[in-house]
Amino acid sequence: MLSIRKIWAVARVSLLELLRRRDVYVALILAVVLVVPLSTVNFFGVEGIVRHLREVSLLLIWLFSVVIAITTAARQIPGELQRRTILPLLARPIRRSEVVLGKYVGSALAASAALLLFYLCYVLLTGLLSEPQAETTRMQATLMHMDMTMGQAILMHLAFVWLLTAMTMAGSLILTVSANLTCCALVAVGMLLFGEQLPKIADQAVFPASWIVRLAHYVLPHFEFYDSRVRLIHEWGAYDWGVLAIVLLYTLLYIAFLMIFSTLVFNRKRL
Amino acid sequence: MPEAIRIDNLGKTYRGEQEALRNFSLTVEQGEVFGFLGPNGAGKTTTIKILLGLLDASYGSVEIFGQDPRQPATRRQLGYLPEIANYYEFMNVVELLRFYGNLSGLTRAALETRIDQVLGLVGLEEFRRRSLRRFSKGMLQRTGIAQALLHDPKLLILDEPMTGLDPLGRRQLREIIMDLRQQGKTVFFSSHELSETEVVCDRFGILRDGELCWCGKPGEVVGDGEVNLERIFLRMVNQPALAPKNRQAAV
Repeated sequence: MLSIRKIWAVARVSLLELLRRRDVYVALILAVVLVVPLSTVNFFGVEGIVRHLREVSLLLIWLFSVVIAITTAARQIPGELQRRTILPLLARPIRRSEVVLGKYVGSALAASAALLLFYLCYVLLTGLLSEPQAETTRMQATLMHMDMTMGQAILMHLAFVWLLTAMTMAGSLILTVSANLTCCALVAVGMLLFGEQLPKIADQAVFPASWIVRLAHYVLPHFEFYDSRVRLIHEWGAYDWGVLAIVLLYTLLYIAFLMIFSTLVFNRKRL
Repeated sequence: MPEAIRIDNLGKTYRGEQEALRNFSLTVEQGEVFGFLGPNGAGKTTTIKILLGLLDASYGSVEIFGQDPRQPATRRQLGYLPEIANYYEFMNVVELLRFYGNLSGLTRAALETRIDQVLGLVGLEEFRRRSLRRFSKGMLQRTGIAQALLHDPKLLILDEPMTGLDPLGRRQLREIIMDLRQQGKTVFFSSHELSETEVVCDRFGILRDGELCWCGKPGEVVGDGEVNLERIFLRMVNQPALAPKNRQAAV
């Protein structure tokens, strides 16, 4: 039986490390990078810029979330092994699965907090920059941007971050830190850009490329499911809750699989 | 009453490497202070890792108080001091002890009391809030001793505990070990400090090339009447003991 107290204790250490090592400032710097261009757009007096502005800022949020999720998760367990802090840790009455889960929870929470900070900046700025309708104040216009579609988009993005964190953590147990960072970034960005087109690409490719692409389609996580940017930009409205539930279930199953895989690999790791 | 440590015909071969341990058997009784000696690469750390359940044996078995050390519940009775004192340098000593205490299942009230007690024992009370990054090697070693004692374990496994300690620290550690023996705790430690080991241990084992080549008590006569631990150690690991003249030169 897994102990929540032990998992949370390990997660807290991961969070404390990110906070004390000032890694959290990276998120703040990225948030400033996001805020500055947004806040200067009206300075140039461009008409109807808000839609384009949303597109650019959402793209930045997605890029930053990939960077933060990968860099946070990639060095959690390798860092413990490298510093040799893993020995006194595992000499305690703790299961290796609890260490893996604790590290995962810590990384996922840190990446989620950074993502929520980005969305807060986004909602505030896009709201404040948009022209208020008649009989609405600027604050009301800002709050209107925090509707159901936005809530669902943030939830989908959080699910993306949790899955990417799990994938990176699994990768960190079989690859070196730099190889893992590269592979995870390629898979995340590649699937976001081409995930939907993989079957078509496989049909047009010749053997063995067609097989490789088809294998990638069936094996790699479909990160494009989580991308709600177009829906937000063009105001297409909220998802059907059934669709959202299926995507979240897919996420949970994939995370569970990756955590089991990570635990099995970590159990066999030579210390 | 089961032995504190029971090792039966233990062997460990790392993949693609030579045997680290070979047919190694040993028992350590409860309440005993056992010194585990051997030259570098003899297999001491491998043995300790197997005792802690951190490494699987290739053959043979290990029991701690009659239980498998790979089970987390068994490790509740163990305190471990690693050879190299590496802890989370972004924490202070109290945060570190709270973390380990939570993992050991101590209640919040008991944990705070134990933290005060062990910090007093190792002389780190006045450095409670100082970051571990700013600790000296000796202070880190004391931190290691504090975390090993934190949950009041029945068995302490210390890997080179004297490393990095100044004479005062060594004397304190010696007193801690003596005190633990009086409390009926079992202490199993590896060391290169033969003189220190001789003072505190009830029994020694000397490991050479993964095999236990000698096990006995201090002052026990071996072979041709030798009772000096250093000479026994050097003879057992196949190195000639220094002649008195050469020893003076070495000093």
